[in-house]
Amino acid sequence: MPADVAPTDAQVLAQPSPFAAFASAFRENRGATIGLCVLVLIVLAAIFADLIAPHAPSEQFREFVRAKPVWAGGTSAFPLGTDGDGRDTLSRLIFGARISLFIGVSVMAFAFVIGVALGLLAAMAGSLVDVVVTRLMDVIMATPSLVLAVVIVAILGPSLTNTIVAVTLVGLPRYVRVARAAALGELTKDYVTAARVAGVRPLRLALSTVLPNCLAPLIVQAALGVSDAILEAAGLGFLGLGAQPPTPEWGAMLADAREFIRSDPWIVTLPGLAILISVVAINLTGDGLRDALDPKMRRG
Amino acid sequence: MLIYLARRVALTIPTFLALMFATFVAIRLVPGDPVEVRMGERGVSPERLAMLCHQLGLDQPVWRQFLDYVGQIARGDFGVSLATQQKVLTEFFTLFPATLELSFFAIAFAVVIGVPAGVVAAVRRGGVFDQTLMTISLFGYSMPIFWWGLVLIMLFSVTLGVAPVSGRIDLINYSFDQPTGFMLVDAALSDQPGAVWDAARHLILPAVVLGTVPLGVIARMTRSSMLEVLAEDYVRTARAKGLSPFRVVGVHALRNALLPVVTVIGLSVSGLMAGAVLTENIFSWPGVGSWLIQSIFRRDYPALQGGVLLISTVVILVNLAVDLLYGLINPRIRHAR
Repeated sequence: MPADVAPTDAQVLAQPSPFAAFASAFRENRGATIGLCVLVLIVLAAIFADLIAPHAPSEQFREFVRAKPVWAGGTSAFPLGTDGDGRDTLSRLIFGARISLFIGVSVMAFAFVIGVALGLLAAMAGSLVDVVVTRLMDVIMATPSLVLAVVIVAILGPSLTNTIVAVTLVGLPRYVRVARAAALGELTKDYVTAARVAGVRPLRLALSTVLPNCLAPLIVQAALGVSDAILEAAGLGFLGLGAQPPTPEWGAMLADAREFIRSDPWIVTLPGLAILISVVAINLTGDGLRDALDPKMRRG
Repeated sequence: MLIYLARRVALTIPTFLALMFATFVAIRLVPGDPVEVRMGERGVSPERLAMLCHQLGLDQPVWRQFLDYVGQIARGDFGVSLATQQKVLTEFFTLFPATLELSFFAIAFAVVIGVPAGVVAAVRRGGVFDQTLMTISLFGYSMPIFWWGLVLIMLFSVTLGVAPVSGRIDLINYSFDQPTGFMLVDAALSDQPGAVWDAARHLILPAVVLGTVPLGVIARMTRSSMLEVLAEDYVRTARAKGLSPFRVVGVHALRNALLPVVTVIGLSVSGLMAGAVLTENIFSWPGVGSWLIQSIFRRDYPALQGGVLLISTVVILVNLAVDLLYGLINPRIRHAR
């Protein structure tokens, strides 16, 4: 080997930064890359909905009620056709992305913060607190997700905000359990004992010593939690217990379209396809995250 | 083994208590005064109001009310539905067989297709079949099933006309007693020609819709569990002994690979009930899922409260059964801790 291409000691010893290792593992995963690209497109559509959407989501074109999509002989003014009230389906789908992603991300954020706090609390406080938290999570998990969400909405009344509250509560146990299990594992390790001996206070110990080392499985849960939240919220919308009309929420759009199942199948097909594509994209990204964050799963 | 059993059963008791407490609190958070709901909008004299409160036990301290509630449930009294004036427990058990029948065939569909597909995918890892199956299973567990149901209705009922859209049987042509509540069994017992076939035709689409998410999960789980087992030493030994590949995979590997799959099936019961709410709604399937949603829209809170409690109880019991079964198959679990 010629001397000029031999790696220097520094190059040999340098580990790739954690982020670089993660990014290269993620890129290797073709599915995850596709999922992330689709997800980015959906996010962009949601952010710039006002600029992209050809029409306002609730604007009714009375002379174009249930117009066919372009490929079925419709007009290019409504590329994906219109619904039963003459509203442009494409515009409603784009604005719907904003609502679904908003629900998915806010549910994830709330459930993550509350769930991780409860999980750390249960792991570190132990005894009675641990028992109470664990039992409560058992109850939430014993109640079928949608049934629980439906009951909460029955108590609070159907609305977008209450959908978020209900789905957050339903999604809580996964974060609590993962955080608790990971924290219990970390708490037995020497560095935590060292920090304790050094006199680190419990709150600081939890947040800056233990939590960073529990993050990898939590991030994976969070990614998959977004897609579950979107499905859950769409299910509530479909039952008429989620976002209320005329909000262009995908599940509610589907429920509205049910009466046209015989005459105009595309009105039914498109909102569901939007849900499916988003959920698949997020799940692919989440799987990629899991494989990339868990070195044991990395292809070596 | 007995100690494990007792431990596991004892652990469900606090969960039950917490569950009762949660439903007890929930019903008190529901908007609307229970006395007013019973009396309607008209005014009531203060004496009458006090008497009603006393009848409903609302003048007792809250802890007393909770104990009474637990006592009622222990005696099997889940309240009376406001809409039908029937006992909630009776109503639940009239409708539950429909949900059970639907769930059973959904899981059967998922297992019968998912397990063999997962095994083949693991054996031919990285091949075309593997990649196709993993893609299908990704779409399966990402599926908004309420939409999937509508799509299948459009395809098989509207366009092809091969499957009925709703209900459990054609009520115009068939009528018979339902001693078991399971339509397929009752149809077979009825001696009416074609009844079984008609019940099966009504069952197939809802079962496929409800089974789609479990199918995706089970296929994926079987594959990854099988991959793990196939790398074990005893599988190599079995191969080295010269056993046929079919015997190695089908007997030696599969038996161990199925353990986690059984757990996943058990844990999917909760999700299955959630899916049943949507599936029953789409196909007008007269089970507990559609009943719960109707109860909400009718503001029938006693039915809702009792129904949620009963469904959750079913989930807890099934999970308990799966845990015990798992302990039975896998001695390592039984002796741990």
